[in-house]
Amino acid sequence: MGASLPPKEANLFKLIVKSYETKQYKKGLKAADAILKKFPNHGETLSMKGLTLNCMDRKQEAYELVRLGLKNDLKSHVCWHVYGLLYRSDREYREAIKCYRNALRIDPDNIEILRDLSLLQAQMRDLTGFVETRQRLLTLKPNHRMNWIGFAVSYHLNSNASKAIDILEAYEGTLEDDYPPENERCEHGEMLLYKISLLEECGFLEKALEELRKKEFKIVDKLSYKEVEASLLVKLNRLEEGEKLYRVLLTMNPDNYRYYEELQKCVGLYSKTGQYSSDEIDKLHALYRSLAEKYTWSSAVKRIPLDFLDGVKFQDAADNYIRPLLTKGVPSLFSDLSPLYDHGGKADVLEKLVLGLEESLKKTGGYPGRSEKEPPSTLLWTLFYLAQHYDRRAQYDVALAKIEEAMQHTPTVIDLYSVKSKILKHAGDFTAAAALADEARCMDLADRYVNSQCVKRMLQADQVTFAEKTAVLFTKDGEQHNNLHDMQCMWYELASGESYFRQGELGRALKKFLLVEKHYADITEDQFDFHSYCLRKMTLRAYIEMLRFQDRLHAHAYFRKAAAGAIRCYIKHYDSPPKSSTEEDDELAKLPAAQKKKLRQKQRKAEARAKKEAEVKSEEANASGVSKQGKRNVKTVDPDPHGEKLLQIEDPLAEAGKYLKLLQKHSSDYLETHLLSFEVNMRKEKILLALQALKHLVQLNAENPDTHRCLIRFFHKVASRSAPTTDAEKLVSGVLEAERPTFSQLHDNKSLMEANTVFLEQHKDSLLHRAAAAEMIYCLEPNKKTEAIKLIEESPKNSVSSGPLGSVKESKLKDCVAVHKILVATFDDRDAALRWKNRCAEEFPYSTYFEGSLCSTITSNETSKQAHEAAENGGIEFVPSNGKVEKLDAMKNLAI
Amino acid sequence: MGAGRAVSISLDGVRDKNLMQLKKLNSVLFPVRYNDKYYADVLASGEFTKLAYYSDICVGSIACRLEKKEGGSVRVYIMTLGVLAPYRGLGIGTTLLNHVLDLCSKQSIGEIYLHVQTNNEDAISFYKKFGFEITETIQNYYTNITPPDCYVVTKYIDPPQPKK
Repeated sequence: MGASLPPKEANLFKLIVKSYETKQYKKGLKAADAILKKFPNHGETLSMKGLTLNCMDRKQEAYELVRLGLKNDLKSHVCWHVYGLLYRSDREYREAIKCYRNALRIDPDNIEILRDLSLLQAQMRDLTGFVETRQRLLTLKPNHRMNWIGFAVSYHLNSNASKAIDILEAYEGTLEDDYPPENERCEHGEMLLYKISLLEECGFLEKALEELRKKEFKIVDKLSYKEVEASLLVKLNRLEEGEKLYRVLLTMNPDNYRYYEELQKCVGLYSKTGQYSSDEIDKLHALYRSLAEKYTWSSAVKRIPLDFLDGVKFQDAADNYIRPLLTKGVPSLFSDLSPLYDHGGKADVLEKLVLGLEESLKKTGGYPGRSEKEPPSTLLWTLFYLAQHYDRRAQYDVALAKIEEAMQHTPTVIDLYSVKSKILKHAGDFTAAAALADEARCMDLADRYVNSQCVKRMLQADQVTFAEKTAVLFTKDGEQHNNLHDMQCMWYELASGESYFRQGELGRALKKFLLVEKHYADITEDQFDFHSYCLRKMTLRAYIEMLRFQDRLHAHAYFRKAAAGAIRCYIKHYDSPPKSSTEEDDELAKLPAAQKKKLRQKQRKAEARAKKEAEVKSEEANASGVSKQGKRNVKTVDPDPHGEKLLQIEDPLAEAGKYLKLLQKHSSDYLETHLLSFEVNMRKEKILLALQALKHLVQLNAENPDTHRCLIRFFHKVASRSAPTTDAEKLVSGVLEAERPTFSQLHDNKSLMEANTVFLEQHKDSLLHRAAAAEMIYCLEPNKKTEAIKLIEESPKNSVSSGPLGSVKESKLKDCVAVHKILVATFDDRDAALRWKNRCAEEFPYSTYFEGSLCSTITSNETSKQAHEAAENGGIEFVPSNGKVEKLDAMKNLAI
Repeated sequence: MGAGRAVSISLDGVRDKNLMQLKKLNSVLFPVRYNDKYYADVLASGEFTKLAYYSDICVGSIACRLEKKEGGSVRVYIMTLGVLAPYRGLGIGTTLLNHVLDLCSKQSIGEIYLHVQTNNEDAISFYKKFGFEITETIQNYYTNITPPDCYVVTKYIDPPQPKK
């Protein structure tokens, strides 16, 4: 390095490198300038100066200098390496890999460059390259532990686990017998466990077990040792030994559900579906009774039998399980038991049981059959449970009665308010739900959970401004809203994106959805540091698990929601692009003069307000900027806070395509993915891609109403195309002709209308299916509109929608809302929509959407909003004192 | 009476973060809505105001105000003391009042008093158990309840005798 320079400058050059490594950038810059004074064209110095400037946030100069340096000295590996580092710092890994490769061409044995390259290859999953680089590193420095391990890991990642085992064994061969020294025991033990996991992965179970036992004394993580041993024994079908070991593990942790499951497998009493014969149930019952005697403190051992028991035994077990928890006051009891509600009969048993407890508590103050009195709080928790029970069973009026009774009994328990809020949400009253959640929040201002729950409810009620203000209460002061993003608070971004979408604010919605997408990019990015860290620390099992997790990261539900939300925004934007300003002016011109003036005034006021807000914000930003002077990453003001720029794009469907690809790659099992793909491609007139989406839909769920819609719409659209003229068009027609018979719905040359009728006949009891069929009638033959609407209106009142037991009614409310929207948007029939609304208002009295008679927007109109504002920061305001208040203090004694 | 099982009763201070608990209690215990001054006094009284928790449920409170008398000495005025109906008879009121009496004696506060409506015999006998006495009757203290008169109930606490 710096070889072409005279000694004095060569020393200076070394100083630059050293200063860069020790982050003394100013010093390095000085040295660089000193060399450049004499040798202004020295490439490596120019490059190093660029790299130094890059760390001082002078990106543009950095790139210019590094490129200039490279131009002056194309044969220098330093220049190429620096160029690679620069790209790497900007996360441009593909470019960086190219640069490193060029550097290695000049200096093939440069360890540092090889190591950097290997990290990038791991990050980009260039696995063949990764193996090569790792091999070179090992050949160059075989005495380095990390190089052996890295080489093995590279083979494992490249799907050659057995080769990885060989490498690790060869590595072990290089070690002395007394290895490892005391301070490396953990690392070595991890390596051994990793090797054993590889053996297991390759199916060498016997060998894995043998190796495990042989190396027992060298493995520090004793728990993992036992778990691996037990799992190998089960896999080898050595069940008796396995059983013994799982019993040992249970003494160590009697609340680990997995141990119980494995133990059941060992004794031959396990079924994946949870279905057992009565004989098996008896045996399981006996097993868990004996376990319960041993592990008296375990709650798992008491809870698990409720899953498999039935009939009277279930009732007894549930009774024994519930009583002490109600006495103790465990607010999560209902969530604990709620999986049982999927088995229809158990919900009835629980209902009878807890109602019995309630009755007895009210009459005697104790449980049935017991003379002992319960503490007063037992009744409270019993009512609390019942409220959630009836909520789950969609009997919202009973649920509300129970929770209100509980609130009268003890009005200070926060969970009561949270649950009441939840009931109201399920019943369709989002406004009241938000107000209740806010009340809960005010009762403990230091509780982040109730705060977050309140934010969520506010967003569900589309009170975005309140929600934002409330959320910010728990962020670091000063940083405010940005902080939520830094904390990767995705549920908030998703919920607020969805709220904006409902309100038609596509720009803001899009902005939120894309922020979530960005978090996932960051998470992918975050693995970078671990490629070197994990090899050094030998946490290899965790490392591999992390890489596999990263590979399917984008399959995560939050990403799916965000991507789907973004795509919806683009589609909606494409369907109804915003009006240009001239169009707006035209509309304005049509208004009478007085109204026009009012509107203008309004606009002007709004503008002034916005300007003022922006000023305040930038001032704040400046102030915080000053306080943090010297620190890097001074917060920049968001140039597009409302996402307006995000919408000013040429081709929204192409943008949507980006996210669609990720969904198709990682979430192909979801109907929604292909529905969106269908919608996008139909708009793009990509007939074959739409067909592909349709085929996926039919494959995933042919009976789904949306699938049906897509099918009919697709073939209807195809039929209306003009005769093919170009070769490409003929090709498409050919494919369509060949594909059409593969759809069983259209067999026997059925017309679309006939297919629609068949579909309706098959699902005429389901509201959503009826609505889909009606919509398709209208789509195929618009003159049959009245008939189609009649079809919807004639749907049976208590028609059962799909969905699991209990949540039926809630999903039914959603379905009814969806149908109302169809009546408004597709049929554009105000009268029918109004009739539907009135019908639903009767059925769902709490629904704010249908303005039912019991919903808060009707009963209290503006009051809830006022209460809301008053409650904003800390509490409900009480009526102003009349001066005599204190005199009534003495009334307190009435309460003793 | 009571549960017949050991249920823990604990006391906790009142801060701006949990002030709402006290407001909730007062809204069901007393037919009055207290004004801002009441809550400002509560926050200023420090240890003299407490919430009572019955197995982690907030069920009662005592709220006092510290008053300066002429001559510089301090006396305590009990503004409110109350326990939710289902939790009465479990010793919670006693725990609360004892806490304040202990504080008074530790801080050498010689006088603690309150107002009681004249017909509220339960309350009067409750306070008498703790050594309170009726020291004054005020006619027409209340404006909208009958009887409108109240007693001033006071306890004088001897300063702890310094050991010799």
